[in-house]
Amino acid sequence: MLMITMKKEWLDSWRQGHALWISLIALMLLLIACVTSWQSFQVQSATKSAVAQSERDRWLEQGEKGPHSAAHYGVYVLKPELPLAMVDPGLRDFQGNVLRLEAHKRNDTLFRPIQDTIPMQRFGSLSPSFVLQILLPLLIILVGYPAFSGEREQGTLKQLLASGCSSIHLFIAKSAALFSVAAIVLIPLFAFLLYSSISEQHAQVLRSALYALSYLVYLSTWCVMVVAISCWLSTARRTLIVLLALWAISCLLIPKIAMTHASNQYPIESGQAFQSKLESEVYTPERQQAIAQFKQETLTTYGVSSTDDLPFDWSGAQLQFGEQYSDKVFDRLFGARSEQLNAQFQYYQSTALLSPFIAIQTISMGLAGSDHTHHHNFEVAAEKYRRVMQQTLNFNQRDHAHKATSHYVADKQLWQAIPEFVYQPPSFSLMSGHYLVALCALIGWLLFSGILGSYSLYLLRKEVQR
Amino acid sequence: MNRLIITTELKNLWREKLTVAVLSITLIFAALSFYNGYQFSQAQHAVIDIAQQEQLSAIETAQNSLTQRLSEQGSIKWWEDIYDLRGQAFYLMVNYATKPPLATAPIAVGQADVFPYYFRMLISEKQNVVQQYDYVNPLQLLLGQFDLAFVVIYILPLLIIGLSYNALTQEQQTGQLRILLLQGINPQHLLKNQLLVRLSLVLVPFLLCSNSLLLLSNKDFTIQNSLIFSLIVSLYCLFWSYLAGFIVSKGKSTATNAAILVACWLAFVIIIPATLNTLNGAANPTPSRIHYVDSLREQADSAKKASEKTLAKFFQDHPELASTNDNPSDYATKKIATIIAIEQAMHAFDQAFLQIQDQQSQYAQAFKLLSPATLVYSALVDFSGNGLTRQQDFMQAVAQHHQALQQFYKTQIVAASQRGDFTPCRGCNARPTLKDLTVIPQFKNTVNDTSPPPWSLILLVLAIFALSLKTNQRVIQIGSAQSQEVRV
Repeated sequence: MLMITMKKEWLDSWRQGHALWISLIALMLLLIACVTSWQSFQVQSATKSAVAQSERDRWLEQGEKGPHSAAHYGVYVLKPELPLAMVDPGLRDFQGNVLRLEAHKRNDTLFRPIQDTIPMQRFGSLSPSFVLQILLPLLIILVGYPAFSGEREQGTLKQLLASGCSSIHLFIAKSAALFSVAAIVLIPLFAFLLYSSISEQHAQVLRSALYALSYLVYLSTWCVMVVAISCWLSTARRTLIVLLALWAISCLLIPKIAMTHASNQYPIESGQAFQSKLESEVYTPERQQAIAQFKQETLTTYGVSSTDDLPFDWSGAQLQFGEQYSDKVFDRLFGARSEQLNAQFQYYQSTALLSPFIAIQTISMGLAGSDHTHHHNFEVAAEKYRRVMQQTLNFNQRDHAHKATSHYVADKQLWQAIPEFVYQPPSFSLMSGHYLVALCALIGWLLFSGILGSYSLYLLRKEVQR
Repeated sequence: MNRLIITTELKNLWREKLTVAVLSITLIFAALSFYNGYQFSQAQHAVIDIAQQEQLSAIETAQNSLTQRLSEQGSIKWWEDIYDLRGQAFYLMVNYATKPPLATAPIAVGQADVFPYYFRMLISEKQNVVQQYDYVNPLQLLLGQFDLAFVVIYILPLLIIGLSYNALTQEQQTGQLRILLLQGINPQHLLKNQLLVRLSLVLVPFLLCSNSLLLLSNKDFTIQNSLIFSLIVSLYCLFWSYLAGFIVSKGKSTATNAAILVACWLAFVIIIPATLNTLNGAANPTPSRIHYVDSLREQADSAKKASEKTLAKFFQDHPELASTNDNPSDYATKKIATIIAIEQAMHAFDQAFLQIQDQQSQYAQAFKLLSPATLVYSALVDFSGNGLTRQQDFMQAVAQHHQALQQFYKTQIVAASQRGDFTPCRGCNARPTLKDLTVIPQFKNTVNDTSPPPWSLILLVLAIFALSLKTNQRVIQIGSAQSQEVRV
């Protein structure tokens, strides 16, 4: 009986021409989004590899110079992307991909692509994630809103139920038919996920599998919710309005209001205040005192009265001491900002309980590695590298400069001693803790839609009994 | 007759709980969105005030501590000396270029959360200076701000659709229309008044609330500003109201009307703008910033490697500075010469970005006509002073200020070097070369006209006019004796 009902529902969907048209439009939009994203990803990846290589060559071929000059010369490192970032670019355009690593400074990433765009871009652009997260639920609503309420209005619902079709079978069949229409749109996405899992060098199968699964859960939630509300409400018109209101609130209003509230609740300092703090807290009289004390301790340790008598170059040791002093300030200030940002993200994530869109958006960006958590991970790795680099250069100065008869210069051997910065985004199992709330919320939404469906069925049965 | 229709319509709407909900939603959203936009512009004001205060206090500190500096006997490092031209130029100068938000800024945050609105100026490559930005949560940037423009563009049309989709058709479906026609009511008047009342329920509270808040919060927000804002919002809402009229005049069922109107909303507000952006990006791709970094690095390397050559070229370009120079290789002059060489080498790359931005703007200008949402959004963003035009003017002013500072320092540094101020004797401190910081060029704010281009509004008026004409034609048919549309 279930199969027959499902077949009937499927046929009904296709006979109503709008299901076909809506699916085709959504499919076309998704394909446009996939093609443009794929092109841009390929170009970006090739550019990044080429520029990273030329940056490494520049570092190695910088010629003979003092290690501290090389420290100021620094390097630019580029944030690599996971293949999944092609389907969900997330925050890529809003947080920059280039980081300059140099002496005495911890920098923020440079060149956010959004800065080079025109205001119209704030309407968003067609990325595959935009189609899947925002437009696909609409497709489900537009195809599914008359599922029960339409039949009720036409008077065919009672006939169907009177002919022996159980209400639960009907509900499952309608939900399944709606899901199959939505799933057609997912085909290009799944094909891409499969392709990237097979072809990519650093394929992250777990990420791809979870990505597909999350979208299946998200779409199932919407399908069950749409059919349940259609079953609950008396007219198709009311169903459509309620569902569209739900969509607008869930996909447009709640995310914006939640983020605005999070920013007000956990404010971060302006760039101007942050920079002023960095300057005023690094270069302080206390720092001078600390350096003086370090000098005194070093002289005492080695039993000499002048830094000229030390068995190493004092300036190298002092530079490293200064770096370590600054690093503590950087850790404190950047750490405080990072904590506030994290609190904002956690607050936003917690509102996933109010909107399934927030849940899928958070999970999707997390899996694609295009969210702030992954970006922060990259920044931390780059900062770690910067410190190692500075230490290597400063220690080289300390250990060798005193042996030079004139101004000490290092050569390619030292530059080679600093390994190339290679960053591999972490595996998802390591990062999954950050997305627990969103994962639970997404499952919660699926359960909620199930409960809503059961309640609607209960009301339907009562209606039939009357 | 009109008064009777309006009174009856108001009574009918009042009986529905939906009306109260719509009124409350409009008022709450107007107040909330204003508050967010206002908070945002206030935060920018606060940053600019602090920056200007910092600049003034740096000047004051220099004035007050001059005597102490002149009597200082200990060793002074030039890069820590606020009275040294070189220290000021490369490290210590507190000189800001700022773009304060306008009184209309709370209306639309636009790109204000992305575009830099202040720069701490130093004598460094322009390419490094202009890349500074204020740190904002990137997720906030992705989602956009909850401001008045968002409510106008996204929410008000939905509310208008929610109220207007069953105008006339409900009377048609319930058979009341036939009775009303028999009583001599003109269907055109009926529809017009129904739409007007329903539009007013959304528009009037919104405009009253937002304008009062804008006027009360900022004394610089003028009545003229208020009128322009009201005109833009009214035209946009009128468009949606007339579109609803156009759809309901087809005489379909209320459910079909609702579906068509929502599809129109989706197309105009979400799909067309997003598709246009994607196509714009594909047709006019922005050059890669990663390539830009690569080029900047390469040019900097070349300029530094050829520093003596660069310096020679610098004096060749500025013979007035070279005439009596006996110490051509001093660090500061060489550094400025290198900066100028890098800036010149990067000019073509910078121009490429500006050019592509212009092309994207032109493309957006041409195609924004496809959607009233894009038309009104750009009008609101420009009017609030947070659009591209004002930003480009600001960036141009910043570039000019950067040039002025560079000119000032390069002249002063070369002159000081020629006088031997930096090395008066072996091992002794440099002479103070910048005793009065007020002589450093200050950034001048320019006031720009931010009125939206009238032609974009005229287009909206034309669209409204066309819709009203077509609607009238259809409604006349409904009212005609032979019409099949009014069967009960």
